[in-house]
Amino acid sequence: MSIEVKNLSKIFDKRYVLKDISFKVNNGETLGVIGFSGSGKSTLLKIISGILEKDSGEIIYPENSEIAMAFQYSALFDFLDVFDNISFPLVERKELRGKYSKSEIEKIVKEKLKMVGLEGIEDKYPSELSGGMQKRVGFARAIVTNPNIILYDEPTAGLDPVTSTMIEDYIVQLKKDLNAACIVVTHQLSTIKRAVDKVIMLYQGSIVFSGGVEELLSGENPYARQFVSASIQGPMNIATK
Amino acid sequence: MFELNKTLTYNAFLLLWEQLKDFLITLGDMGQVFVKVVKRILLLRINFKETLEQSKRFAYDSLPISLTIVGMTSAIIAMQLAPELAKQGGADYTGSLSALVMVRELAAIMSGFAIISMVGSSFASELASMAVSEQINAMSVLKVDYIEYLIVPRFLAGVLFMPVIFIISATFGLICAGYVSNWCADLSLLNYFTSLWHGLFIRDIFIALLKSSFFGGTIALISCSCGCFTKGGAKEVGLATTKAVVWSFLVIAVWDFVFASIFYL
Ligand SMILES: Nc1ncnc2c1ncn2[C@@H]1O[C@H](COP(=O)(O)OP(=O)(O)O)[C@@H](O)[C@H]1O
Ligand SMILES: [Mg+2]
Repeated sequence: MSIEVKNLSKIFDKRYVLKDISFKVNNGETLGVIGFSGSGKSTLLKIISGILEKDSGEIIYPENSEIAMAFQYSALFDFLDVFDNISFPLVERKELRGKYSKSEIEKIVKEKLKMVGLEGIEDKYPSELSGGMQKRVGFARAIVTNPNIILYDEPTAGLDPVTSTMIEDYIVQLKKDLNAACIVVTHQLSTIKRAVDKVIMLYQGSIVFSGGVEELLSGENPYARQFVSASIQGPMNIATK
Repeated sequence: MFELNKTLTYNAFLLLWEQLKDFLITLGDMGQVFVKVVKRILLLRINFKETLEQSKRFAYDSLPISLTIVGMTSAIIAMQLAPELAKQGGADYTGSLSALVMVRELAAIMSGFAIISMVGSSFASELASMAVSEQINAMSVLKVDYIEYLIVPRFLAGVLFMPVIFIISATFGLICAGYVSNWCADLSLLNYFTSLWHGLFIRDIFIALLKSSFFGGTIALISCSCGCFTKGGAKEVGLATTKAVVWSFLVIAVWDFVFASIFYL
C-alpha cells in the first residue's frame, strides 16, 4: 500500500468541497480523478500535498514517503532558470542542504531533464519555454527527490494532442521508473485511456463513480456515461453549485 | 423612505466593517509573519545568499530615487530658509537648522517614502504574483520554508540597508542644502559647514539610524505579508501592491510620530 485516503472532507465557506472521499492507490499504480471544474479535484491534491488542511478524515502513507506535485500551470519559479528550478529542493531544503556536491547536482538535473525528454535547456528561464516544456520541467523538478507519491494537476490541459500524448507517456514512464503511486487529475479522456489504471469521478465533492477504465468507458454508470459522452443531459447539472 | 435610510446606513456600516475587517486581517497576517521571521533569525536560519541578493537590490534600486528626493527636499528647505535667516541676521544658523531638520526627521522619512515606492511595491507585487501562480505553494510542497527563503532575506535587507541609505542620502541632502544656501543667500560654504557641524549630534544620528532600521524592517514586513497571502489573479496582485504601499506610508508616518514622542518629547 502506498497512499490511502479515508473519509476525507473539506469545507469552504460552510460548503462541502470534498465529502467523505475514500480511495487507495498502490505503488506502481495511477489513479485518475475526473470531474467538472469546481468539483474539488485540485483541493483534493492540495490536501494530500499538505498545502491545505483537511477538515476531517485520514490520509495514510508510509512515514518516509516523499510526495511530489506537478502543478496545473507548472508553478515554476520565474526568477530562476531551469537548472536552478530543478535543483531547488536539493539546494534549498534544509535536510538536503550540503548533501550533494555541485557536480552531483549537475548530474542529477541532467538525468531528470533527460527523463522528461529535455536536454540542454538548463540556462533558459521559464518564460522562454513553451507550455508543454514548462510542464515537463515542472515534472523534472517534482521528481528530483525521487518521490514515491506523485500528484499531477491537469497535466495535459491546454496542450495540443500530440504534446498531450507525450506528457501522458512520461507520466506512465515516471511511474515505472520510480515505482510510485500516482494521482492524475484530468478532464481529458485521452489521458484516462493512456496513463491511468483506475478512476474516481467527483461531483459536488462526492465520489459518484469508482472503478476501472473499461468500466468507466462501458457507460453502465450514469454519471460516467454523461461524462464520457460529454452530454448535457444526465444526472449531473453544471449550473448548480 | 425609512427603508431607504435603513439600507443606506446599513451599507455604510457594512463598508466600514469590511474595511475594518480587512485591516484586522492584514494586521494579523503581519503579526504572524513577524513572529515567524524573528523565530528564524534567532535560530540563525538565514539564507545568506538570498540575503545578499536582496540587500544589493534594496540598496541599488532605492538609492537614486532616495538621493533625488532627499536632495531636492533639503535644497528646497535651504532655499526657503537661508534668505529668511540671512534677512533676520541669522544666516549662521542655516547649517545647524538644516542638520536638525534633515537628520532628525526629513532624511529618514523621505528615503522611507522612496524605498516604499521602489522596493516595497516590488516586494509586494513579486510575492503576490508568486502566490497566485502557486510558486509559494510549490515551495512548500518541495519542503522549502518560504519564510526563510523569501521573507527573512527581504526583512534583513530592510533592517540593515535602510540605515545605509539614510546616511548616504542625508549626507547628500546636507551638501545640496549648503550649495543652495551659498547660491541664493550668498552664505559661504565654510560658514554653512561650520554651523552644520554644530547642529550635528551623535544622539540624533543614532536615533535616526535606529529609526531607519525600523522603517526598513517595517516596509519589508508589510510588503511581504501583503504579497504572500494574495489569492486570485492579476487584479488581486495589483490590489496587494496598492495595499502594501498605502499601509507602509501610514505605518511609517505613525512610527515617525512614535519615535519623535519617545526621544524628543
Ligand atoms: N481557498 C479557497 N477558498 C474558498 N473556496 C475555495 C478555495 N479553493 C477552492 N475553493 C472552491 O472549492 C471548489 C473546488 O475547487 P477546485 O478544487 O479548485 O476544483 P477543480 O480543481 O475540480 O476545478 C470551487 O467551488 C472553488 O470555488
Ligand atoms: Mg483544478
